[in-house]
Amino acid sequence: MKAMTRMIIRKALNSVITLLLVIILSFLLFRLMPGNPINVMVPPDPRIPAEYKQHLIEEYGLDNPMYVQFFTYIKDALLLKFGDSFTDPGTSAMSIVLENLRWTLILAGTSSILMIVIGMAIGMASAWKRGSLFDSGSVAFTLFFYAMPTFWFSMMLIAIFATGLDWFPDSGALRFGTRPEWTWASFVDLIRHLILPAASLTIGAIAEFALIMRGSLIDVMTEDYITTARAKGLRERDVMRHHALPNAMLPMVALIAITLAFVVGGVFQTEIVFSYPGVGYLTIKATYDLNYPILQASLFLIAVIVIIANFVADFLLIMMDPRISVG
Amino acid sequence: MTSEVRRRVLSEPTIERLRLLRKKAMATWKVYRRNRLGMTGLVALLAFIFISVFAPQVMWVLAHIAGWPSAYGPFDEVATVGSGLPPTKDHWLGTDIRGNDILARTIYGSRVSLLVGLVATVVSMGLGTIVGLFSGFWGGWRDELLMRVTDVFLVLPWLVLMIVLAALLPGGPSVMKVVFVIGITGWSGTARMVRAQVMSIKNRTFVERARSAGAGDSYVVRKHIFPNVFPLVFANSVLTVALSILSESTLSFIRLGPDPTKVVTWGNMLEDAMTGHAFLNELYLWILVPGLCIVFVVLSFTLIGSALDEIFNPKLRRR
Repeated sequence: MKAMTRMIIRKALNSVITLLLVIILSFLLFRLMPGNPINVMVPPDPRIPAEYKQHLIEEYGLDNPMYVQFFTYIKDALLLKFGDSFTDPGTSAMSIVLENLRWTLILAGTSSILMIVIGMAIGMASAWKRGSLFDSGSVAFTLFFYAMPTFWFSMMLIAIFATGLDWFPDSGALRFGTRPEWTWASFVDLIRHLILPAASLTIGAIAEFALIMRGSLIDVMTEDYITTARAKGLRERDVMRHHALPNAMLPMVALIAITLAFVVGGVFQTEIVFSYPGVGYLTIKATYDLNYPILQASLFLIAVIVIIANFVADFLLIMMDPRISVG
Repeated sequence: MTSEVRRRVLSEPTIERLRLLRKKAMATWKVYRRNRLGMTGLVALLAFIFISVFAPQVMWVLAHIAGWPSAYGPFDEVATVGSGLPPTKDHWLGTDIRGNDILARTIYGSRVSLLVGLVATVVSMGLGTIVGLFSGFWGGWRDELLMRVTDVFLVLPWLVLMIVLAALLPGGPSVMKVVFVIGITGWSGTARMVRAQVMSIKNRTFVERARSAGAGDSYVVRKHIFPNVFPLVFANSVLTVALSILSESTLSFIRLGPDPTKVVTWGNMLEDAMTGHAFLNELYLWILVPGLCIVFVVLSFTLIGSALDEIFNPKLRRR
């Protein structure tokens, strides 16, 4: 148990270092980008007095030398203060990111659960009927969607199911101008807006889980203890359920954590195409607007989420697999 | 080459090594041939490569069969500039906002799309393999340092990283830039995988035996560790080509891809299609055909990659 504690402390320390590097990089990267955020904050209108521009520059500390800006930023970031958004004066970047994160979690969460469940089911069926037409058929079918550029697939879904058939809305998370409420109508509206983006994320990623599940099951099926279980006269279904499946789950747990970072990447594209008000949409817009506080807050939060997910996965793997030794 | 000449050019051990390599390749091929999906992918990929290499000839043949006025090039203004036009007898897939023939652009587009995928893969796999090899081999603080950097790249959303890099790098949009951006953002997964493999190999008996026989670091890495990591890297490269082609199309989608007036890729054809409001004007083929080309090329690479994975991962092999 002592070795275990040491490992957890080491991993936690590594995570903190990674987070610090993310904080530093998200300052450097965006400041190096060409352009000046003030030009986005203030529209090029001659009627706006130059003093106002100057006032904003001073208010956001953009006139300080770069190293002063850097140290102020680091000091604040360590206290989780990321300042006000450049484009929404008076609103803290963190609160905006958190509000958008809610939508991303709804979208990414729903799709993650769906892709894991569907992917595992297909993977199991195809490992069981290995070499059959169903096996190669399902592999080819899921890979076909995996091979699609996410944005292109999203556009196809919009063209067919929104513009063409008019079954679902083509953008947003709720009807324009409404806010989420605890009513049935609002919930239905949310689901209707969720179906297409979630489908574009889910269907594209099923292949990954199906293939890993299939490979892992096939791998386990060659182990001696499976032969032993069969030799004991167990039915094939019981061999699968009690001997093969639990062992085949290990690589899946590892994959789920790794895929999370990947899902975040996919969410970005889906959110852009569907104008879904999540973190991805916000972050990409902020990149073009050079909205530093938003970028710094969102990259920090995304990093925290991915790191925690990895941490949990590592921990689960150790708890589940007695073969992994700690030390 | 007669065996006499061969013996004079190559030394004995080299011949022996080549013979072994050939034997291994033949054995791999024998297993590969039985994989239905892998073969489908290989045939499809060869067809795409054929079309891209012989693009002008393919257009020439098509022009003769269909009786077009000429074999169009990808940048020839053959119709009205400014808006896409629906398919006609002379332009099977219609024309785009530049007045170019969409079929010609699709056929020529395979060249840069495939090239970007391959070269970006070499960059990212090369970087990842080097970082992973050193990190796993050295261990200690140098390993820690390299792994923290790798983690940062894994944790930052790659789309944001791509946008920033594309903006930071000097010069306008170009193929080189796209290759570089994709390569730089894609190496971290490879580094992790190679590192894990190296760490599992470096303490095996055969490595220790070589060490006790006096082998130095560089010899051990070259002769024992790298050859054992290579099959894994190779199988993964094929999958990475698929991802790189997808990345190129994504970069073009957010208008950071190669300049459509100078280079044709399927990615920037889609970019053009969006600029020309292909859906609104009901020019579906304009958006469907380049998209499906991406899907099928990526699919064939993925099929080949998973077939190779099944071969190099002996536990997956059918017994």
